[in-house]
Amino acid sequence: MKSINRRGFLKTGITGAAGIVALSPSLVSAVESSVQEKNTIYRTLGKTGLKVPVISFGVMRSDNANLCKAAYEKGIKLFDTANGYLNGNSETMLGNLLKDYPRNSFFLATKVKPVGVDREGKPTDQTTVEAFLEKFNTSLSRLKMDYVDILYVHDIRNPEMLEYKPIINAVKKLKKDGKIKFMGFSTHANEPVVINAAAATDTWDVILTSYNFKQTYISELNSAIKKANEAGIGIVAMKTMAGGGFLDKEKTKPINSTAALKWALSNPDVHTTIPGMTDFDQLDLNVKILADISITDEEKKDLMIASAETGLYCTGCTKCITACPMNLPVPDLMRAYMYAYGYSNPAMAYSLLGELGTTDNPCKECNTCKVNCTKNFNIKEKIADISRLVNVPADFLA
Amino acid sequence: MRNKFLIGFFLIVLFGSATAQEFVLPELEGFKKTTNYPVFGPENLWDFINGAADTYLAYGFVDLHVAEYKKGKNVIKLEIYRHSDNTMAFGIYSTERSPSFRFMNLGAQGYIADGAINFFKGNYYVKIRTYSKSEKTLQSTESLALRVANMLEGGSEMPAVLSKFPEIGRKMNEETYINESVLGHKFLNKAYKAIYEIGSDNFSIFIMENSSTEEARKSVEAYLAATGIDAVESGSGKYMLKDGYNGTVFLAWKDNLIVIISGLSKDQTEIADRYTSEILK
Repeated sequence: MKSINRRGFLKTGITGAAGIVALSPSLVSAVESSVQEKNTIYRTLGKTGLKVPVISFGVMRSDNANLCKAAYEKGIKLFDTANGYLNGNSETMLGNLLKDYPRNSFFLATKVKPVGVDREGKPTDQTTVEAFLEKFNTSLSRLKMDYVDILYVHDIRNPEMLEYKPIINAVKKLKKDGKIKFMGFSTHANEPVVINAAAATDTWDVILTSYNFKQTYISELNSAIKKANEAGIGIVAMKTMAGGGFLDKEKTKPINSTAALKWALSNPDVHTTIPGMTDFDQLDLNVKILADISITDEEKKDLMIASAETGLYCTGCTKCITACPMNLPVPDLMRAYMYAYGYSNPAMAYSLLGELGTTDNPCKECNTCKVNCTKNFNIKEKIADISRLVNVPADFLA
Repeated sequence: MRNKFLIGFFLIVLFGSATAQEFVLPELEGFKKTTNYPVFGPENLWDFINGAADTYLAYGFVDLHVAEYKKGKNVIKLEIYRHSDNTMAFGIYSTERSPSFRFMNLGAQGYIADGAINFFKGNYYVKIRTYSKSEKTLQSTESLALRVANMLEGGSEMPAVLSKFPEIGRKMNEETYINESVLGHKFLNKAYKAIYEIGSDNFSIFIMENSSTEEARKSVEAYLAATGIDAVESGSGKYMLKDGYNGTVFLAWKDNLIVIISGLSKDQTEIADRYTSEILK
């Protein structure tokens, strides 16, 4: 692929301070349509049959349609948005842009989250078909389209939701009526369980899942994704940057985004990825991956270093609970630790410790800790540290 | 007294000096308030709003308090997002605002749209939502919004830079603040944007208020350097650039202010000159 050099793409006229004077137009366009389509790596999105480039576009921002336009003209064909992004402004921007392109020259995916789903991911009496369809119809109207290629039921984390007939049947009807081409769901938590459950049915065409090199349950997730792929379900990876593009809150340790994307695509069961892009430099980097997904030694090294960073966030894998001889609620205690040190909110940590019934250092009876945390947290040390808080008078923290 | 001092010392050692503003979320008559959600931070905002978190993080998101108010089947959800400063709170508020909404005098500015009331005040962006169609519940939503607005600290003014945008042709309530990558360029940050419509012409004006003339000069230099120009006059300048991604771009700067106009063609220098001159006068 021909390298893309910014200096070659931005040409200028210049005037003095007295006034604005037009000079000759640019000799070189920034948006070369010669993306060497023949070199672009395509994968087939499961039984949908859609042939999609390995890089797609997760569209969050709406302030510069030219970024999406450039992506389209550089060979990116699948644009992914959601009913809720920017309160609908993301869909509106895409609708205004894509109406000028042939409808069969791109794919559009959007997501609608059922209303009233509880924290365990289960439907409640608020989870109505009417509210879901109202949101979907608003999305279609903003997008100025007769149909979307993929509609994801947004944020499924409990298999019970996959069985929730009112919503599932409504989405099936949308497909039958031609308002959507394919039905899918997105999942950001409990992914292996949810994907395994979906693979056992013939309902779903596409799954959009969190997938990155830092996930502690990656072997279970890979196994579920493989099963889904074998069942003909297209797999789209999101959150490939492990949540935010940086390893630390202070944003001093950036993740090698190219390496992270290539890592995700090294799994042949993953058909495309949807990195969010906010500037042309990012776009140019990602466009290069369209034709080259091989990971260099340097990129592998960057990923290894990034993997070693633990951070403060407990993923809630719950493997620690059975390993602890005291049956301590370790994930909750790690959450208390994060409230105290991550959010600087000792009152919140104190309140949680109270709910858990923590009265003293619960680890003091154990000489060695039997828990092997999947995030390599030193559990014994952290629990001993945070449990000191219960000795502080509550009124001091209020 | 001594004990309290020792405990204070202990806490400072234990948790450092940073503290989040604590507040008790208001009650709502007839509704049961529940606050079962954790206080979300940058590490786990994805758990709550999924992919939308990226944008919030780009606007200096600090934390999020969530509460639900229930009365039978009617539920009102309150979300209070705290951002690093007032500009960032306006920034995230403005990205989710649409001119078609019904605007109201709430905080610095707010609006109602289909069961949602959103507003910003000080460093806070507040979102209140119900899917109930009950008129009483909708009224309760407004009542809750007023209570939250009164409870939150911070100014109730729109950002002062917005007053620099010329009035003629300006589309109301479409102003935004872009914190990162203005016009998709990594080297251009922190700009207010307004959209203009004059006859058949549609264009955008960006104003970047820098902390110093030197900082402004560096930003201008970065843009011009990307187009192959090395020299930048000191103190002020006007340029017409051919930006391969964004088309013709007019750039003018004076002291610490930079004005960029995108959307006009190269033969519309007169319009660009008129607007940039008014802003930089």
